[in-house]
Amino acid sequence: MNALEVDHLSYHYRDGRAALADVSFEVREGERVALVGPNGAGKSTLLLHLNGLLPERAAREPHVTVFGMPVSESNLLEVRARVGLLFQDPDDQLFCPTVFDDVAFGPQQQGLSVHQVRERVTEALRDVGLEGFEQRMPHHLSRGEKRRVCLAGVLACRPGLLVLDEPTSDLDPRGRRELIALLRSLPVTQLIATHDLELVVELCPALILMDRGRVIRQGPSIELLSDEGLMLAHGLESPHILHHLDGRDR
Amino acid sequence: MPRETLDRFARMDSPVHRLPAGVKFGVAFGFVVLTLLVPRHAWWVYAVESLLLVAVAVVSRIPPWFLLRRILWLEPVLMGVALLALWQPGGPGLFAALVARSTLCLAGMMLAAATTPFSDTLRLLERLHVPRMLMTTLALTFRYQYLLLDESDRMRRARRSRTFHARRGVEWRMLSTVVAHLFLRSIDRAARIHAAMCARGWRP
Repeated sequence: MNALEVDHLSYHYRDGRAALADVSFEVREGERVALVGPNGAGKSTLLLHLNGLLPERAAREPHVTVFGMPVSESNLLEVRARVGLLFQDPDDQLFCPTVFDDVAFGPQQQGLSVHQVRERVTEALRDVGLEGFEQRMPHHLSRGEKRRVCLAGVLACRPGLLVLDEPTSDLDPRGRRELIALLRSLPVTQLIATHDLELVVELCPALILMDRGRVIRQGPSIELLSDEGLMLAHGLESPHILHHLDGRDR
Repeated sequence: MPRETLDRFARMDSPVHRLPAGVKFGVAFGFVVLTLLVPRHAWWVYAVESLLLVAVAVVSRIPPWFLLRRILWLEPVLMGVALLALWQPGGPGLFAALVARSTLCLAGMMLAAATTPFSDTLRLLERLHVPRMLMTTLALTFRYQYLLLDESDRMRRARRSRTFHARRGVEWRMLSTVVAHLFLRSIDRAARIHAAMCARGWRP
């Protein structure tokens, strides 16, 4: 079954500029797929479509289908429960006074009991390695910790598809390494928009390359990343890590 | 460097801190009502109340400067009301009584608030069935005021690093552009926060 199907999706900004032009792709259940492209390629805009945050007014014909459900006005809440979106800036996502309140936000919106909410929070914080952080204030956390709390907040909703927008930007090497290990350990379908091409090599067997609102190519990550001409033509560079992989990995 | 928060001394350990939020605010509210019911010139009651507040403050181990500064910040507001009394018959006495009463009420509430983490205060308000929209607004204000202040600090620092002849006029102009930028950035951030809330199932 496909976790995600995007079918001929186009979107224009209010000033008339095209942000997405005829974007189509699929992500199978259990897959980990990277979405790469230069700044302004439309990656973040695309991600906002995946749980109905865009377009502002739902299209008459849905162009996005999540686990067989078309994303439309009538099933937005159900879709948002299935698609967990991790935003680029953790400060946008951590809007509650304490870590506990923040991680509990999603489960509370799902109408779970106090006991279930508590259970979900404990489990999610344990998954991201932040046990004992319940009463901490987001304002006093490091960037990496904030990012992990955000992820806990998303995981607590038990999504089937995890959508991450630049998850490793502005993390220090240790924070980045820990996040990669964490993402690898999570048994859910993942779509990761990133500039961190080494992360792509490590985590994502499949890749979608976007530029100027269009899908340029999709296929096996290593094959596409090794194509230096293709990478340079779209403002990217083949990651150095490729030179260290032996023939078998390739 | 993140800024210290308003409830920075609320997570200490003292007999006052350990009391449930409901008890603390209940007692503080009772204290305010009592102060308002006392005859205006019963100075000895004010004195006893002040001693009581000082005793609670000492037990709570919150630094006195923290409480005093917060009271002083709000004192001008109280003064504004009290000053009007000076023009009434028996003005000075009335003025002094008004200042004493309002300062006592303020100090009582301050003590309750300073020894309670803001998240507990919010939970108490929730139990008292305060409208959800107001609660959300309070929680968001608490969370983002520091971010906004940090952001303004960073912007001013960045500007100052490229300001070579500091004149008062330049400073003021700088401040006004910082405020304007902060306003625009806040609108953008508000839109992103709203999206993040909706993404986790928020229903307004």
